[in-house]
Amino acid sequence: MFTSFFQNIINALQWGSFYSMIALGYCLVYGVLRLINFAHGDIFMVAAYLGFIFITFLFKYIFVGGGVSGWLILAITLPVVMFFTSVLGVFIERVAYRPLREKGAHRLYVVITALMVGLILENGNLALFGASSRKFPAIIHRSVISFSGVHITNLKVLVIIAAFVTFAFLQAIVNKTKIGMAMRAISYDKFAIPLMGIPVNKVIVFTFILGSSLAAVAGVLFGMSYPVLNPYMGMIIGWKAFIAAVVGGIGDIKGAFLGGFLLGFIEILIVSFFSSNLKDLISFLILLIILVIKPTGFYGVAKSTKI
Amino acid sequence: MLEIKDLKVRYGNIEALHGISFTVDKGEIVTLIGANGAGKTTTLMSIARLPRPEAPTVIAGDIIYDGESLLNVSPDVVVAEKRIALVPEGRHIFGNLSVQENLQIATYALDKDANVKDAYEKVYSLFPRLYERRKQRSESLSGGEQQMLAVGRALMTGSNFIMLDEPSMGLAPVLVYDMFKALRQMNEENMTILLIEQNAKIALEFAHRGYVIDTGEIVASGTGKELMENPDVKKAYLGG
Ligand SMILES: Nc1ncnc2c1ncn2[C@@H]1O[C@H](COP(=O)(O)OP(=O)(O)OP(=O)(O)O)[C@@H](O)[C@H]1O
Ligand SMILES: [Mg+2]
Repeated sequence: MFTSFFQNIINALQWGSFYSMIALGYCLVYGVLRLINFAHGDIFMVAAYLGFIFITFLFKYIFVGGGVSGWLILAITLPVVMFFTSVLGVFIERVAYRPLREKGAHRLYVVITALMVGLILENGNLALFGASSRKFPAIIHRSVISFSGVHITNLKVLVIIAAFVTFAFLQAIVNKTKIGMAMRAISYDKFAIPLMGIPVNKVIVFTFILGSSLAAVAGVLFGMSYPVLNPYMGMIIGWKAFIAAVVGGIGDIKGAFLGGFLLGFIEILIVSFFSSNLKDLISFLILLIILVIKPTGFYGVAKSTKI
Repeated sequence: MLEIKDLKVRYGNIEALHGISFTVDKGEIVTLIGANGAGKTTTLMSIARLPRPEAPTVIAGDIIYDGESLLNVSPDVVVAEKRIALVPEGRHIFGNLSVQENLQIATYALDKDANVKDAYEKVYSLFPRLYERRKQRSESLSGGEQQMLAVGRALMTGSNFIMLDEPSMGLAPVLVYDMFKALRQMNEENMTILLIEQNAKIALEFAHRGYVIDTGEIVASGTGKELMENPDVKKAYLGG
């Protein structure tokens, strides 16, 4: 009893970590642009593929003989994938969202554009890699830490640590740096930002870099944990993370972070009491009820902190 | 210092300024007065080069500042390099930041070696209430205090030219008096001021020169005193 309970907590934390890292990306872009960036789940998917491509490349051309520590490979892969995923995020903002913004288009059109960008990423991936799924290379030997009957894999611990570390890092940026202050300010009043001598587009680009980097960390770790990749893998998990962000209160990074874990716990709880077929049904019902009771989410305040 | 030449602007297809011209010289206090919808806010937003959809598009004419056109300058550069500040209509303070953070964010574009400490001191000595409330979330300030913060924030940008859009809006008479006293003091310390006011009487008493704007056109100009004695202005804006 105790062991399965503890096991479940670890699983919930692990899934919560994935949801949270993705939810934060939705939350950041929403805070700054009032845009639900529906392409974000697919950015996560692309990040997983980028990790797959880069690691394959490393094995094929750089570490040909093998025998390299998996941790070293991870340490090289993460920043590289974060970089290229950021380039993708910024590129999307530049070619798809900014032109609409500058034409003064209604927000609805931008959201629809975001949906289309997501579809383009999915289908672009399909065109490049075909419909068959890819296997993410196993770089870190999966080892099991056991104590008093509880088994935890090192990967799960890694995922959970990564979520907390990236969140702490993000908090520090948002609360302690000048550009973070600009992000908080822009979420409250975009009009006045240039009047402070701050280029609005710079803040927006920085936001996309942060959100994409988080998706990159989540994507690589997800690939390592669940090594089967396909072009649609970002869709459902992206939707779930988005809903988690809304339930947490999409305006607040704390809310998005907690929302992700809430969803993780709800899902695992349902699976351990009912059948896993009911997982999505019941968890979405619960989230729906929470939203009906508190439409602004746990941390959402009508017009206050939006980041 | 600032020269507006035959400026025509529009929102979408609606022309809001039909070719207005005026100047502001260094060290002056100049006021633009006019009825609701005359185009006062439109003029200031055009000078600040703010983007659509809130601000209009310039279709003809020019905005010359220190001999250079501002037409192709982006709004953040207007502040960061040209050092022109705007206190916008409706204040637009960042309610989710503290009072002090609102002032701090305005120093974003200052040089590393700029004397920020003196700037804080100056703002806090002009508006001691802001100092008392510096830790407070600025949303919770009263309307008058928010207006002080908006002006203080503009001062923090290190500008030497400041445009104010109805700083007296919604303030109790005693606060209006304080506000104009602070503006006068700023002007004596070499700040050039372009002021918009609904309250023409206060504005004309306060300014060196003024322009009267009516449905997108300048219809009268002169020193504050001249305008106050102008029968048309008296009738339309000073209540007889
Ligand atoms: N964003 C906008 N889109 C379309 N038209 C606008 C916009 N803002 C202002 N206008 C129009 O431009 C004209 C000038 O407006 P403006 O705000 O400059 O007036 P104002 O002199 O500042 O008036 P007030 O004293 O009420 O502030 C008005 O006819 C107004 O309806
Ligand atoms: Mg106005």
